[in-house]
Formats: sequence, structure tokens, C-alpha cells
Amino acid sequence: MMMNEKMQKIGKFIRENCAADDFTLHINNSQTSATRFAQNAITHNMGGENTNLYLEVTFGTKTGAVSGNIFDEKSLQQLIKTAESIASLNQPDPEFVASEGAHKLPETTKTSHETISLSSEKMVDNIAKCVENAKHKDANISGISEKEISKNYMLTKNGFEGFDEEAVFSHSMTMKKDGKETKVSKSVNDFNNFSMENQLNQLNLQFDSLDNPVSMEKGRMPVILRPAAVLNWLHYLAWGFNLRSADDGLTPFTGKLGKQVFGEKFNLYSRQNQAKISAPSFFSNGLPVRDIDWIKNGVIQTMSSNRFYANKKGILPAQFYNFIVDGENISEKEMMKKVKRGVIVNSLWYIRSTDQKVGEQTGLTRDGVLYFEDGEIVKSVKNFRWNEILHDATKRIIALGESVHQSYYAKIPTMLIDDFNFVDVTTF
Amino acid sequence: MDDLLDTQHQKIKEINSSKLRSKTMKLLLQIIDIAKEMGVDYADIRIQKTKIETIYLRNLSLKNTSLKEIYGYGIRVFKNGAWGFSHNNEFTEDAMQKTLKNAIKIAEQSARIQNGNGLKLSYERSYMDTFRTSFKIDPFEIPISEKVDLMMEVNKTLLNYDKIKQAQFFFECRKDEKLFASTIGTMLDITTLYIEPTFTATAIDKGDSQSRTFSLGGHAKGWEWMQKINWNNEAVRIAEEAIMKVQADTLGAETRRDLILDPDHMSLTMHESVGHPTELDRVMGWEADFAGISFATPEKLGNFQYGSKIVNFIADNTLTDGLASSGYDDDGVPVQKWHIIKDGILNEYGSTRDTAPLIDLNASRGCNRATNYYDVPINRIPNLYLQPGRVKLSPQDLIADTKDGIYIEGRGSFSIDQHRVNFQFGGDMFWEIKNGKKVRPLKKVLYKSSNPEFWNSVDAICDDRFFQTFGITNCGKGQPGQRGRMTHGGATARCRKIRVGGSQ
Repeated sequence: MMMNEKMQKIGKFIRENCAADDFTLHINNSQTSATRFAQNAITHNMGGENTNLYLEVTFGTKTGAVSGNIFDEKSLQQLIKTAESIASLNQPDPEFVASEGAHKLPETTKTSHETISLSSEKMVDNIAKCVENAKHKDANISGISEKEISKNYMLTKNGFEGFDEEAVFSHSMTMKKDGKETKVSKSVNDFNNFSMENQLNQLNLQFDSLDNPVSMEKGRMPVILRPAAVLNWLHYLAWGFNLRSADDGLTPFTGKLGKQVFGEKFNLYSRQNQAKISAPSFFSNGLPVRDIDWIKNGVIQTMSSNRFYANKKGILPAQFYNFIVDGENISEKEMMKKVKRGVIVNSLWYIRSTDQKVGEQTGLTRDGVLYFEDGEIVKSVKNFRWNEILHDATKRIIALGESVHQSYYAKIPTMLIDDFNFVDVTTF
Repeated sequence: MDDLLDTQHQKIKEINSSKLRSKTMKLLLQIIDIAKEMGVDYADIRIQKTKIETIYLRNLSLKNTSLKEIYGYGIRVFKNGAWGFSHNNEFTEDAMQKTLKNAIKIAEQSARIQNGNGLKLSYERSYMDTFRTSFKIDPFEIPISEKVDLMMEVNKTLLNYDKIKQAQFFFECRKDEKLFASTIGTMLDITTLYIEPTFTATAIDKGDSQSRTFSLGGHAKGWEWMQKINWNNEAVRIAEEAIMKVQADTLGAETRRDLILDPDHMSLTMHESVGHPTELDRVMGWEADFAGISFATPEKLGNFQYGSKIVNFIADNTLTDGLASSGYDDDGVPVQKWHIIKDGILNEYGSTRDTAPLIDLNASRGCNRATNYYDVPINRIPNLYLQPGRVKLSPQDLIADTKDGIYIEGRGSFSIDQHRVNFQFGGDMFWEIKNGKKVRPLKKVLYKSSNPEFWNSVDAICDDRFFQTFGITNCGKGQPGQRGRMTHGGATARCRKIRVGGSQ
């Protein structure tokens, strides 16, 4: 890994040699090991270290940026010169905001010795267990086991300096046999919080609950979305949940700040000190990370905004950095009893916007769909296509499960949603 | 700064200078010789310098004007039927040897879990060659100010219309210079380049917002291509169509109608429903955990009616200006041209040296490509196009011959299942066709279909006068993900009786 001192030396060089009125420097260093497996064998296996530098310089309000990965003095001088040349040839940016000054940054913990010291041999050992498990079920397993240790350094002409470190271990696997296909995945900052045994138990539980799926009629019906499915969807909410886009009339949230748009049961936050959930010390703009309430009891509290637009509106800038959704601790078994019939969905796939203004999205179900009736699972069914509006769907939440650590950056509950709009049935 | 390696700069200069390329190649060959001494079955090293210029203009505010240059190398080792890959950007002999040793260690780890005797590599001979994308004016030689001025003019034209509330212009050009050497004696010097301008106008009216985009995709061409585009005319057209679209009707309930699809739209349809399903790694289950698998399994080769008899899909990595036209792939296999679908029948896949033997193919089709030096090469879609019709036919003729249909231009919403069977597509501009005439613009149109229904419903394809290509530069695949590129093409075509309706 690149040492902090070396990053600071590069920063010092930039500070001493950059003639621009303002600059912001980012250095990102990451060390990765990634092992891909498929059909019960390793197919790709890779490792290495990357360091990238991003330098943005400004003359007046004219900005230019460069990035590179070679850090000897001549290369750095060339990078500075190029950035200054781009800025001087550029046009003024009416939305330019000067770089941040010094800030006191909060402590956030995102590394662990266990993750950092995890060897590639042990990662392969884990994969061997997955393959053995699949062979025992006469099935095929595919996936990836990955470790990434990353370090970020940021420095500005106006006095900001910050370091951030993170270690992430993630493991994802799909087991398949004939028409049965299901997946589990988990990512953690601390490898101590990862149990291959638990993952395999969950995979086997999902796999064993499936049968060769049968076709079912499309139409609106209750759905139990498991946490992986909910997280799939939340990524798309974050993407379109921008204050300026809303104010410009581009999204369904125009004029909705402070108003009830989501269901009362729906609460979404980003938190800097949530156990087992990652948070940076500072945002990419240099502002210290802070707790953000996005949606509370269905009312929009905050939408994302950059520094220019936030300044214009007299509010604090905001960025999503983790997803925490409140749960109610209602079990899946209890959920099944709350409606006459419905389907359980493990995950959602290929979500795309179909109507940005309305907020409608389309997608498919994936990794196993179970039909239930009168509180009992009846059969595996083929996948569905759905077209839905997320904020409308949250108004139809009947019950929420326990909020669980679905990923190193997300704590999500299972959701029972009424009248989910399944518009088509797939052929498998 | 004394501990920052001054030698790095010298090494980079060597890669940049054609005179010194042979010296750098010698360095690569030293690593290859060491790999041989260390008992690998195969190894290659790829030094890659990537230069990307990006300009993003939102309304009249420059959100990003940047130049990225990254250098590094990846070493791939094949030993005992398994792969190891390691990358680095330190060019000292010591660092390069360490990277090699790491790749060998990783390959040895991989060999612990394999089927039978592990993977095999298809036969390939050695090559010594040079490839350069053909262009007259290097876009990197054009001053940033000239590019920004062009983009500003377009956005100003768009914003001159009251109802256009957002104008976005995104410009990117990229150049990759690679030196490649392998243990079978191949030595390659490859330079590829592409350029991609895209702008979007978003109109707001009566509580709705709709966008219209100008996009020709990425093209492996120089700045001279940009100079041929009439930017003002295109900006006026896009602005007016965006306003027309926001004021347009919606289609209503889903029914079966004919679709007439322009080449831009079809580039995305064929990418998702023909390109991905015929990647051999996906067919063999290598992408099952994320991107998915394929319905187009090997027993269907030579007998599966993928499309109607007039449907011929050609894979062509020799295509002039194609984004996958790189002379050789990252296995060192030369580019080729072949039928993926011939007269409607599934004919062959896009393959690599490690996937071809899985279905007893004698040779790879040269589809193994990595995006950056730190990426491992993966089985990619080749340049792929729908062969134009043999009968003289124009888009106007097709419209005149259609009683009840929808004409779709450009790319919009797209979603397809992980087996690449069932899909739903939108578009960028829609027109209702009644009794041979375009009668009104529409918005929020979606169609649903599946393989093989969709391509079997094609009953007419315009002739080669109307053939156009569109480069895809953001094809996401792999774990960790890579952003690949390839070119698609075709002439306007008609599909009969497809389920189409308004959204929701």
C-alpha cells in the first residue's frame, strides 16, 4: 500500500509547484485480490495495486482537471502543467465553488486487521468449500470472492487535508441445477463478521426451497421483497433523488421536499457511526460526513445536492454514503399470514427507468421466486417482469422485517408490499 | 521526493516514443523469458497507456474538463490448466519480476480448484505486427477551447427554446497504446482511438419532462469526423423533437403492432439480445453469478431458428472504424469476420482461447479484450451488425407498407433477463404509423418481446444504402466490472406483431 507519508509528499509537491488560484488533489490507492469461479472451478484469479491521482486546478472560475498514476517529479510537473493549461484554455464556470478549507473530521472505522491480513490462500479455501457444497447437491456454483483495501487522500489549496481508509471483503455465489437457480452475497468491512458457513446455509435454504418453476399469471399481487431485492431498488432511488433535478421539474419530487411522498412506514437514513456499516470521514467535496435523514415516516427530509446548489438554496450539501432503512422485526412467516396470497422475491435484476418524471422503473425478478397462499409456500414460480414506482410502492408496505446487514454499506429489512405491478411472466 | 522513482518518467517516455518501443519490447521479452524459465505453460504481458479526455457541459456550466493518462502492465500466466493475473505500474525490472511471480502464485492457487485437468487454450500461431486506428486528425491535438466552444454553441442553441430546461453535452475521446508479448513468440504494437460526442435536450411542459438525445455512439475516427457533423442543424432538430415529444400523446394499452426500428435503436437491441447471448463464456456459465447465462446453448448451433431467414448477424472485428477493430485481441489472436446467425440459424459464438476448447472449437474468434492495463481480458461481444437486405428498400418504403405500427428512433429504456430471453425496450423518439403514414409523435412507448420471437418476426430490412454503425462504449461486464466497447450496425428493419404500449 502507498504510505500516508508518500501521499503527503506528493501533496506537498503539488502545493509548491501549482501556480493556480485554487486546487483540489485526490489520491486513491487500492490493493485488490479477486477470484472468480464458475461451473465448480476457478476461471479468473487476479491481484494487484492501483494508485490514481486526480488534480483539479482553477484560475478565477476556469477549471481544468487531470488524472494519472505516475508520481515521479517530472510526471507530476507534467500533470500540473497540463491541468493549468486546460484551465487557462477553458471557459469560466458560473457554478464554480472554491475548494474547502480545513475541517475537523469525524472518526469512522472501516478497516480491520482480519480483512487486511486475509490471504488469497484462505479465499481459495473458502471457494473450495462452496464447490464441495455444490457438488454435494449435484449442482454448479459460480461467483466471486474479493478483497479490496483502499486509501483516499485529499488536499486543497484552501487548507483541507484528510485521509480515509477502508477494507472490504465480499463474496457472492450463485448455485444452479436445471431450472433451480439462486444467489447469496455478503460484503463486510471486518472479515470477522463474515461466516462462510452462514452463507452456505442461507444458499442451501434458498436452493432447497426452489423446485422447477411453473408459470403463473401476471398481474398485481402482494410481494415479499427480501433485503437483497430492496437494496437493488434503493440504488435507483438514490440516483434520481436530487434536489436540483426535482426543482428543475425533471423528477417526481418537484416541490415535494418536506412533504409526504413515500409510505409512512418508510424511513431512510445515512449514518456515520452505525455498527458494521461503512461511512467515509469526508465527502469527495471535502465536507465532513454527517448523519443525514433522507426520508422520515414517508416525508422527504433531504435530497442530494452539490455545494453550488446547496449554497444557492441555503442548505447543507448532501450525498448518499450508506443506506439504512428501519425495520419492524416481523418475520417472513408472519408476513405470509397478513395477505391471502403473494410471491417471495430474492432479488431484482436489470432495473431501468421507464419514465423519469413519474419515477417509474422496470426490472425482473431473479434468484428464485416462491408463490405462497394461506401462510404457506406452495411452489416455485417463473420470474416476472415488473413496472413500478418506488415511492408509490412504499405507500403499499404492509409489514417490514428485521433490518439486517445486507452489505457493508446497507442495513435493510424484508418488505411486504401490496399490489406489486407484475406486468409479464418470463419463460423460465 | 527523492524516493519517487525518477526512472518511471524515463520508462514512460520509452513507451511514448516509437523509436524506443523496440527497447520496451525487449523489456517485455525479458519477462517472457523469465516466465518460460519458471515453468509456465503460457504467459503474456501487456503494457498499456490509456489517455482519456472528458468534457461534460451541463447547460452552460462545465462540470468536468479532464485529461486522464494511466500507464501500467498486466501479466497473465497459464499453468496447470489455470489462470493467474497480476498488474502493476512500476516499470523497474524488480517490480516487473515480482508482478510475474505474483501471477504465477495466483495461477497455482487457481489450479487447486478445477474441473478435470483444468482449462485448455486453443492453438494459436505467433505474430509480429503493428495496428493503428486510421484517422487524420488526432482529437487530442485539438485544443480544449475549440471543443468547449463547439459544445457551448450546441447547448446555447438548445437553451434558446423556452421549453428546453436542461441541455447536456458529453464528449469523450480515448486512445490506447499497447505493447504485447507472449511465450508463443507473439509481439504486437497496437494503437486504437475513438471519439464520442453525445448531447441531450430535456423539455418540460404541462407537468412532464422528456428528453431527446443526439448520439452516434463512439466511432474509431479522428476529429475530421466531428467536422463533418452539422452541429447547429442537429441541435435544432433535437430541441424541436424534445418539445414535440413532451407534448406528444401516450400510446395506451398494450397491443400487438408492427415495429419499424432505426439502426441506432437496433444497435442496442442486437447488443442485448444477440451480442451477449452469443458470448461463449456466458454460454458456458462463466458469468452466471452476475451478468447471467445464455439460452443459446451449444446444442442449438446449426439448427436453432434464432431469426427469420433474412436475418444474418455478422461478427466483424475487421470493420473499418469499429471499436473492436484492434488488429488482435488480448490473447494475441487476429481479428476475424464470421456469421453469428446465418439465414436465421444460430451459427457460431464469439470466443476466446480459453473458451473455444470448451465446445471443441479448433481456434478462438479473437474476442478476449481487457479495458485497462489492470483488467484481465474477458470474452467480449465483437463488432456485430445486422446484414442489410438484398432487395432495394428504404425506410420510407417500409413505412408506406405498414398499416398499424410504431416507428422507433434511438435508444431508451432497456431491460433483459439474465438468460437473455425476455426483454423490454423503450426508445428515444416514437411515431405512430397508420395506413402507411407517420401520423403523430408519441412518448413513453415500451415494447416487450423475447428470443427467438423477436428476430423471427423480422420481415423486412432496408438495403445497404441505409446501413449505419453505432459504437457502444459502456458495455458493462465482468466481476470486477469492466466497461468494454464494440460497434453495432444495421439498416432500418421491421418486426411484425410485437407487444407494444404505453408505460405502466
